[in-house]
Amino acid sequence: MILQINFKSGMPIYLQVVDQIKAAAAAGALRPGEMLPSIRPLAEELRVNRNTIAKAYSELESLGVIETLPGRGCFLTENHTALRKEVRRKLLIAEIDQAIVQAHHLQVPRNEFIELLHERLDALDDKRRANEDHKEV
Amino acid sequence: MSSPVPAIQIENLGYAYGRAEAVHDLTLTVQPGRCYGLFGRNGAGKTTTMKCLLNLLRPRRGQVRIFGLDPERHEVEVKRRLAYVPDQVAFYPWMSVRETLDYLASFRSHWNRKTEQDLLDRFRLDPAQRVGSLSKGQRTQVALIAAVCPETDLLVLDEPTSGLDPIVRREFIETVIGAYQEGNPGKRSILVSTHLITEFEGLIDEFTIVDHGRSVLSLGSDHAREHYQKIRARFAQALPELDLKAALRVRRNGRELELIANGGGAELLERLRQHNPEALTTESLTLEEIFVATLQS
Repeated sequence: MILQINFKSGMPIYLQVVDQIKAAAAAGALRPGEMLPSIRPLAEELRVNRNTIAKAYSELESLGVIETLPGRGCFLTENHTALRKEVRRKLLIAEIDQAIVQAHHLQVPRNEFIELLHERLDALDDKRRANEDHKEV
Repeated sequence: MSSPVPAIQIENLGYAYGRAEAVHDLTLTVQPGRCYGLFGRNGAGKTTTMKCLLNLLRPRRGQVRIFGLDPERHEVEVKRRLAYVPDQVAFYPWMSVRETLDYLASFRSHWNRKTEQDLLDRFRLDPAQRVGSLSKGQRTQVALIAAVCPETDLLVLDEPTSGLDPIVRREFIETVIGAYQEGNPGKRSILVSTHLITEFEGLIDEFTIVDHGRSVLSLGSDHAREHYQKIRARFAQALPELDLKAALRVRRNGRELELIANGGGAELLERLRQHNPEALTTESLTLEEIFVATLQS
């Protein structure tokens, strides 16, 4: 898992870290039970404040994506669903609505939007599969 | 809930060298655990502000507090709780690196030997070398090690990277700050002044831009990057008449337009979209670009 901070994206740095770790977990670049980099080396590598990484990790922990084992480090949880199903759906709906608004402004019609959605889901599956293959090698 | 005592509180600070006003009505607060940037061009009043904090200069107006204490009345207590790296570091040239660090440690009630050794190793400094024969970058590294090892609650850095080459700058500033914050996360505060903003981009939580001794802008870094946007648009024909008063800066070149928005970016984007641009992009400004845009407007 290699993280990359973009200071021009307008998104708070800790959220970029949160999103990228979530993406890495979804794509299988980070597997359940695997250890995340320690805060200080990661902060130095990304050239950001260690408190920013600490904030990202505590956010991920409250989302149930990672867990901290005292004295050992942070790990991706086996089954990161600390949230109830309705809550999870609600969070996802908010994101989908945003994408739909964006699609409207970019004049991407409904069928094309749904096509794109399938395409992106497939792309993520491919990535996950590639990471799996890599594991077997 | 009572809010914690700020690490630094500057209120309406004023200072003048004779009749030349160096700092005028400056107010800022550094909360514990924050890394605060004081950005300004040379001569903007950054060093004067820091010297007032350290009781090296006595404020003419307003007041400064460190951990709620007056640095003039509680000089020893305040200095016990902070470490300062001036823009020009001076050591006794005949001392070795080892002797210099031991000498500086002798003034402190606490000194983290492990951090000292770690940083000496990482910077590949030879403890036996005389400081007089060190390069400027290496001398700054020694000064930073000496500032980090006492593990004070506050670290004050005045232009810590100026005059150093870019590789050295990149290498060590986050190392030093990482080492400093590691011991007591969320509690150790940093005030750093600089005009070389790029290398502090990811480290700074909040900043104040000073110009001619006055505070021009104070913002949280994430908020600032969200707020300041660069919008580029290209149209098929010559530019339509547009109301762009909301933009901080406008550059036009034939069919192309570049705006810097200080908030209100969404509205400006919407206005541009109505004219069906061929291309429309937006990106956030970096702290350095915000600095430049603020001082040029």
